[in-house]
Amino acid sequence: MSALDKFLAGWSFRSSTPDYEPGDAIEVMVTGREGDTAVARIGDSTLRIEDAPADAVNTRVLVAVDTWDGSTHTGSGTYRETVGESAF
Amino acid sequence: MDAGGGSEAEPRISFYGGKWASTLPLGFFILWAVFQSGVLGIGDTNGLVIGALIGTILGMFFVRGDWKTYADTIFEGMTQRVAATAIVAWLWAGMFAETLQVGGFVEGLIFAADALNVGAATFPAAAFVLCGLLATGIGTGYGATVAFVTLFFPAGVLIGASPVLLFAAILSGAVFGDNLAPVSDTTIVSAVTQDADIGGVVASRFKYAIVAAVPAFVAYLIMGSMLSGASLEGAAALRDTATAPGLVHLVSMGVVIATAVAGRHIVEAISWGLVVAVGFNLGLGLSSVSDVLVFTVTEAGTVTALPFVAVGDTASVGGSLYTGAIGFFPLIVLTLLIVSMAQIMIRGGGFAAIQEFLLNSVATNVRRAEVTMVLGTAAINGMITINTAAEIAIAPYIARIGEKFNINGYRRANILDANTSALGYIFPWAGGVLVGYQVMVGPDGLGAEYGPEMVVNPIEVVPYVFHGWFLVIVFLAAAVTGFGREYVPDRTSEEVSRA
Repeated sequence: MSALDKFLAGWSFRSSTPDYEPGDAIEVMVTGREGDTAVARIGDSTLRIEDAPADAVNTRVLVAVDTWDGSTHTGSGTYRETVGESAF
Repeated sequence: MDAGGGSEAEPRISFYGGKWASTLPLGFFILWAVFQSGVLGIGDTNGLVIGALIGTILGMFFVRGDWKTYADTIFEGMTQRVAATAIVAWLWAGMFAETLQVGGFVEGLIFAADALNVGAATFPAAAFVLCGLLATGIGTGYGATVAFVTLFFPAGVLIGASPVLLFAAILSGAVFGDNLAPVSDTTIVSAVTQDADIGGVVASRFKYAIVAAVPAFVAYLIMGSMLSGASLEGAAALRDTATAPGLVHLVSMGVVIATAVAGRHIVEAISWGLVVAVGFNLGLGLSSVSDVLVFTVTEAGTVTALPFVAVGDTASVGGSLYTGAIGFFPLIVLTLLIVSMAQIMIRGGGFAAIQEFLLNSVATNVRRAEVTMVLGTAAINGMITINTAAEIAIAPYIARIGEKFNINGYRRANILDANTSALGYIFPWAGGVLVGYQVMVGPDGLGAEYGPEMVVNPIEVVPYVFHGWFLVIVFLAAAVTGFGREYVPDRTSEEVSRA
């Protein structure tokens, strides 16, 4: 990202329900679990993450988005790897 | 650090009184800080250190079983990377800021005001811009306030500017720099506690700062023509201190900002700025070698021929590098104690209990989460008026609440720092207001030197710190409308990428 891009990033009114496309590979914080499945809440959208480690909550993981429903702002994806952890 | 603060983790320290008792050290410290800084108006960081030490000791008496676990947790907290990163950045920033000061940066800015032929009506607006530039260069709003109230404020009042508006404009400039400067202590804390690189944070913060600063500048122009003071015909006093060469430190400042925003580590960015600043100081004769670094000995000898060795009454080390770094020592000790108290809260379960309450009852969607973050930082900064201490105390909650909605680290850092910077210079008991007021009162103060019109009642200043108020309003509006919001998937911090 160029220095100019860094200054220009975020000059917009962002939705509280961001949407993604199948095929996207995104980094997210795992924010909780629904039963045995890890879940990442991104704003007020929800991504279910299959095959995540049992201790994935509060870690940052790379996820391949498999499905996404733009009307309910929910989707599912597959865990690829853990890339970071909580800031605290 | 592991996910010990998560709701799923079992508390490792057991307290009499349950998990809430683990909040006792930090809770006691906050009460101490409110009493000391808010009630008594004592802005002494060393005093807060004692409050933190006593709070830590008090908490130990409530531990069930072996107290060794509690003691170990103090060390565990202190050795976290977040504390070490802030400490390193502060030491470098302190050296840089002090070197700009001895290099005549303030006097250069006064020269600019004189050259632009600033009059009484436009003086507050000029003070806002120039103090903002100084604070952005040296990173400390407190330092910029003291410098500008000492040198710029009397000159403005003497040519007829409103003292209240002028003091408020200086405080607004301090807010701007404290908020935006890469070498600012609050900028550094906001970035490192949210896992974001400092240069990226500064770039992402610019949009909020400018949206607040432009209307603030216009407001100072308008109010400057509506409010005026008694003209004391003292423009000559302004010219006495003005010297042009100090303005070259705009380049030193630019070097730090440009290299930090370009993605270089903050230690590298400030080191380059320091090299350039020392080069200007020595090359242009802005300061002597001994202004930058001096060893003072009590007896003359062959070594005293060296430019950085002097003879004095007591043996010591001094200079801008020394005083700049030393100035941060109290804050460094305090930071180590605050992060260890926070760790006790995490290991005792109190942190998770408060977090769950907030997430289940207050921050139930992303908009409410961001409003909670904005109001939470505002509340704690209204109470603890030494703003960096307040910021460190609230930072873990901003991180966790934000992460629960995948709010990007840059956005979290910006929410955390806006109120920290703004409220530290608005209320009459705020540290930034008090340091400026101290210059006006007392036997050697401006009031004694020039007369009572040079002393401003801090309460009168509150409504006119426009940039501070506008920054709070911008962030409340941003939380509600989503302006500037970024999520974790949008982009990754560069420092994290490098790790």
